[in-house]
Amino acid sequence: MSLAIAGRIARRELRGGLKGFRVFLACLALGVGAIAAIGSVRESIRGGLDREGAVILGGDAALQLTYRFADTDERAWINASAEAVSEMVDFRSLAVFRSGEVAERGLTQVKGVDSAYPLYGAVTLDPVMPLEAALGITNAVPGAVMDPVLIARLGMKVGETFRLGEQDFRLTAALIREPDSAASGFALGPRTLVRTAALENSGLIQPGTLFETEYKLRLTEGVDLDALRLEAKGKITGARWRDKRNGAPGIAEFVDRLGSFLVLVGLAGLAVGGVGVSSAVRAYLSEKTEVIATLKTLGAESRTIFLSYFIQIGVLTVLGVTLGLILGAIVPIFFAPLIEARLPVPAAVTLYPMPLVEAGIYGVLAALIFTIWPLAQTEDVRAATLFRDAGGAGQGWPRWRWIGLTLFLFVLLVALAAQFSGLGGLTVWSAFGLAVSFIVLVGAAWAVRLIARRLASARALRGRSAVRLALGSVGGPGGEAVSVVLSLGLGLTVLAAVGQIDANLRGAIARDLPEIAPSFFMVDIQPGQLDAFTDGLEANPAVSKVQSAPMLRGIITKINDRPASEVAGDHWVLQGDRGVTYSAEAPEDAVVTHGAWWPSDYTGPPQVSFATEEALEMGISLGDDITVNILGRDITAEVTGLREVDFSTAGIGFIMSMNPSALQGAPHSHIATVYAETEAEGAILRDVSNTYPNITAIRVKDAIERVSEVLAGIAAAITYGALATLVTGGIVLIGAAAAGVRARTYEAAILKTVGASRRTILTSFALRSALLGVAAGSVAIVAGGLAGWAVMTFVMDTDFIFEPVSALLIVIGGVIATLVAGLAFAWGPLAARPAQVLRARE
Amino acid sequence: MTEAILSLKDATLSLDGNAGRVAILKGITLDIGRGETVGLVGPSGSGKSSLLMLMGGLERASSGSVVALGHDLTSLGEDALARFRRGHMGVVFQSFHLIPTMTALENVATPLELAGVHDAFERARAELEAVGLGNRVDHYPAQMSGGEQQRVALARAAAPRPDILLADEPTGNLDGITGQAIMDLLFGLRDRYGATLVLVTHAPELAERCDRVIRLQDGTLSSDEHAKAAE
Ligand SMILES: Nc1ncnc2c1ncn2[C@@H]1O[C@H](COP(=O)(O)OP(=O)(O)O)[C@@H](O)[C@H]1O
Ligand SMILES: [Mg+2]
Repeated sequence: MSLAIAGRIARRELRGGLKGFRVFLACLALGVGAIAAIGSVRESIRGGLDREGAVILGGDAALQLTYRFADTDERAWINASAEAVSEMVDFRSLAVFRSGEVAERGLTQVKGVDSAYPLYGAVTLDPVMPLEAALGITNAVPGAVMDPVLIARLGMKVGETFRLGEQDFRLTAALIREPDSAASGFALGPRTLVRTAALENSGLIQPGTLFETEYKLRLTEGVDLDALRLEAKGKITGARWRDKRNGAPGIAEFVDRLGSFLVLVGLAGLAVGGVGVSSAVRAYLSEKTEVIATLKTLGAESRTIFLSYFIQIGVLTVLGVTLGLILGAIVPIFFAPLIEARLPVPAAVTLYPMPLVEAGIYGVLAALIFTIWPLAQTEDVRAATLFRDAGGAGQGWPRWRWIGLTLFLFVLLVALAAQFSGLGGLTVWSAFGLAVSFIVLVGAAWAVRLIARRLASARALRGRSAVRLALGSVGGPGGEAVSVVLSLGLGLTVLAAVGQIDANLRGAIARDLPEIAPSFFMVDIQPGQLDAFTDGLEANPAVSKVQSAPMLRGIITKINDRPASEVAGDHWVLQGDRGVTYSAEAPEDAVVTHGAWWPSDYTGPPQVSFATEEALEMGISLGDDITVNILGRDITAEVTGLREVDFSTAGIGFIMSMNPSALQGAPHSHIATVYAETEAEGAILRDVSNTYPNITAIRVKDAIERVSEVLAGIAAAITYGALATLVTGGIVLIGAAAAGVRARTYEAAILKTVGASRRTILTSFALRSALLGVAAGSVAIVAGGLAGWAVMTFVMDTDFIFEPVSALLIVIGGVIATLVAGLAFAWGPLAARPAQVLRARE
Repeated sequence: MTEAILSLKDATLSLDGNAGRVAILKGITLDIGRGETVGLVGPSGSGKSSLLMLMGGLERASSGSVVALGHDLTSLGEDALARFRRGHMGVVFQSFHLIPTMTALENVATPLELAGVHDAFERARAELEAVGLGNRVDHYPAQMSGGEQQRVALARAAAPRPDILLADEPTGNLDGITGQAIMDLLFGLRDRYGATLVLVTHAPELAERCDRVIRLQDGTLSSDEHAKAAE
C-alpha cells in the first residue's frame, strides 16, 4: 500500500524536472562510463588476442630453442607432427650503413626466416611487394626489410645497401607490419627481416653466440595441443612451447593486469563521484525538509516518505548508470581506429556485455552506498520542523540498520571488484586505503570546522573581519565544509597517488641505475677475439674499465635428481634459461658467503657457486646437486659455494658460476661491460663494429631509453585512467560551489547591509575556499603518498621515492581549482543588490 | 524641524518584474529631520519596504535623488554605499537576517569591526546584554527563537550608534507579547542614542508612538501627518 502511495508522491516530485540533479547524473555517468570504457577496451584486446591467436603466434604452436637449431632427429619429429613448419632465428646485431666516409650504426633485432614464413597472416611492406621478392637475391646481394624507425635512424633509402656482421644486404622495403611481432615480446632494437640462408656468411650465428631459434607449426585441425606439448617436451630438450590459445602470454597478462588496475583507478573516481552524488541528494532532501514535514503532518509514515525518495533517487540512479553505460560502450567504438593504431596487437572493438554489466553493478552499488545515509536521515525530520527554523534535514546519525546496510553494500562492492579484477589483494588494499582516506578526511573536515570556530573568536583576529568571516562560514553550522573537504580530498588523494605512481614509474630506471653505469654491453665476443678485444679497449684512455665473462645459458632441470620445479616451485630462476659463467678464481668483487671457491687448477667433477639470496629462496644449500641443461647437454654440478650477486649494479651478474673445466668445452662466447667517457662512446662503437663485425654493442643509454619509453607508456595509461577522476572531481567541486551560491548571496547581502565592501566579502569567500582546499590538500598529500608507496612497493615491486613536486603541484592545483570554482560562483552573490536578495527572503 | 537628515526629491523606483517593468515608487519627495521618529504605513504592496531600501541605499533610485547626511546616495557606488552605512545606518528586517554561520556575538560585532572599532567584541557583548541576551552570546541563529533573533538584529543595528535606524516591520514575524518587547527595546534605543528612526509598521498603536506618520498608497505619498503632541 505504502509503496503505491510512495510511487505516486515520487512521480509528482520528479515532475519538477532534473535541474537539481545535473551533478548527480554527471558524477554517476562519468564514473560508470570510465569503468565501462576501460573494461571494454581490455575486453577488446583480449578478444583480439583470442581471435587472432594463431596469427599473433605465427602458427598453431611454436617451439623455441636457445643458441641452437633443432638437430636432425628433432627436426624430423617436428616435420612429422605438423602440416607445415617455418623455422626462424632471432638475435640482436648492429646494422651498419655506410655512405661515403661516414657510417651509421643501429642496434637491431634480426629475424631470419625461411620461405614458409609467415604461416599465418601477411607481412605488409612499403612499397607493396611480396616478401619472397623483397628478400630474394639480386646481383649476389640478398634483400632485407626493416622497421621504418631504424631506416630513419640510419638515414637510409630503399635500394641502398647495409651490413649485418660481414654480410651486405639491400634494403628493399620498409617493414610496416610483421604479423607475429607481438609474440616476440620486448625488443631493444627495431626489426630487420632477412632470409636465414643469407646470414650464413655474416659471422653472426656461430656456436656460442646469443641467438634463439623458433619453429612455428601449422597443425591439422583438431590436434590435441596438450598431448603434443607433452610429446615435444620429451623429444626436444629445453624447448619452450607456446600455442595459439595464448599466442602472446606476456601481452595478455600485461593487458589484463593494467586493465584491472585501471578499473581500480576508475572505482576510485566513482568514489569521488559518490561524494558528489551524496551531496546532491543531501541538498535535494534539505530543500525538501518542508515537504517532508508537511507530508508527515498529513499523516505519512517515515517508511512511505523514505520509499518515495528512495524511488526518486532510484529512477535517477538508473538514468545516470544508463547514461554512463552508453558512454562507456560508445567511446571505445568511437575511438577504435585510434586505439588499434596504438596497440601492437589486433583489437576486436565491439560491444562487450560483461564490462558493461560490471560497470553497471559498480554504479548501482556506489549510488546506494552514497545515498542511503542521507535518505535515512529523512526519518528524523519531525512535523514540528515546520514551526521552527531547524536548519534543514541531514543532521544526526541514521539508524543502525541503515549504517549496517551501507557497510554491507561497501563490502559487497569490494568483494565484487576483487572477483572481477582478479587483483584481490590490491582491490582490498585500495578499498581499505579509500575508506581510511574517507574517514581521515571526515575527521580533517571536522577538525577544520572546530579549529575555524575556535579561531573565529580568537582575540588576535579581531578587527580582521574578512578572515573572521571566512572562519565563521567554515566553522559555523550548515557549512558545506565536510562535503567540500571530502570530495576535494578524495579526488586529490587519487590524483596525488596516480601522480606519485606516474613520477616513480617514469623515474624508476634512471633512479635504479648505479652512479657509474657502463657505457656498453658487448655480446657475442668469440673466445679467440677476447684478448685482442680487451687489450684494444684498455689501451683507449677514455675507457676506465672493461669487465668480461664467458657467457652460456642453461635451464636448471633438476635439483638433487628431482625435477627442479618440485623443489623450488615457480621461482623466477626456473622460468626459462639463465646465464651461466665459469671462472678459475673468485672474481675480485665476489663475496663468498658459504663454502669456498674451487682451487684455480681444479679439474674434477663439476662444481657450482650459486647466488646466495636465490639459493636460500629456492631451498638450495651446500652439497646439493644441480643439473643444468646447456645447449641440449645435461651438466650436473655440486653446489660448493654461495656468493652474493648484485643484479642492480648493471654490471655482470650470474646466478651460477662453475669451474672452468666443466664448461670450457661447450661452445660459448663472452660478454663484456665497458665503462667509458660519454664523449668517447661514438668512437668506441665505431672501432669495435669495424674490427669485430660479429660483436654486438648495446649502448646502455639507448637501452635505458627504450625501457623508459615502455614505462612512460604505462604511466600515461594510468594518468589517462585518472582523467575521469579529475573531471568528476571538477564536477563535484563546481556542484559544491553552485550549491553554495544561495547561502553566499544571502551572506553577501547582509554583510553589505552592515557596511562590508565587496573586497572584504570577496576576500572572505576566497579565504574560505583556500582554507578548505588546503585542508583537503594536506590530507591528500599524505594519503596519496601512502597509496603511491603501497602500489610501487607491493604491485610494481620497486622502490618508492616521494615526489614532492608532483604532490605539491596537484595540491596547489586543487586549491586553485577550489578557489576558481568558489570565486566563479561568487560574482553573482557579489553583484546582487542587497534589497533584492533580502526581499526574496522576507 | 531643524535640519533634514534624509531628503528625497522626486525619487522613483522601477523594477523588472515577470510582466515587464513595474513602477513601484512614483516620485517621492520627502524630508526627514534629525531626531524624528517616522512611522511609514500603507497597505501591503504599496511600496513601504521599497522606500525604506532606498533610504538605506540598499536599492538604487531609478530617478530623482536620495540625500542622506549630505551624501547623494544615487551617485555612490556599491562599496561607497556600504562604507557610508557603517556608523550611519542601522537596518532591522522583518525576517531578522542574521548571518547563519555566525554566533550572536559575532553577528553584532561584525559592523563594529567593519567600522574599525578596536574593542568590537566587548562592545558587542555589552550591546547583547543591553537587549537581555547576555547569556546567549555564543548561540547560533538557528539555536534561538524568533524574538531572540530579532533582539540580536536590534543589537547589531544599534551597536555602531547609527544616525539613522531603519526598521521594516520588525515585529511582523513575532507574536504580540514578543513584538511588544521588541518595540519597547527599539524605542528605548532611539531614546538613549537619539537616533532618527524610520519604522514601517501595520500596527496603528505603533504608528501612534511616532512623531510623524507617512502614508503610502500605490507608490505615492498619500498623507504626511505630524503628531499633535510633537508639534
Ligand atoms: N523585484 C521586484 N520586481 C518587481 N516587482 C517587485 C519586486 N519586489 C517587489 N515588487 C513589487 O513592488 C511593490 C511594492 O513592494 P514592497 O515595497 O515590498 O511593498 P510593501 O513593503 O509596502 O508591502 C509590490 O507590488 C511588489 O509586488
Ligand atoms: Mg514590506
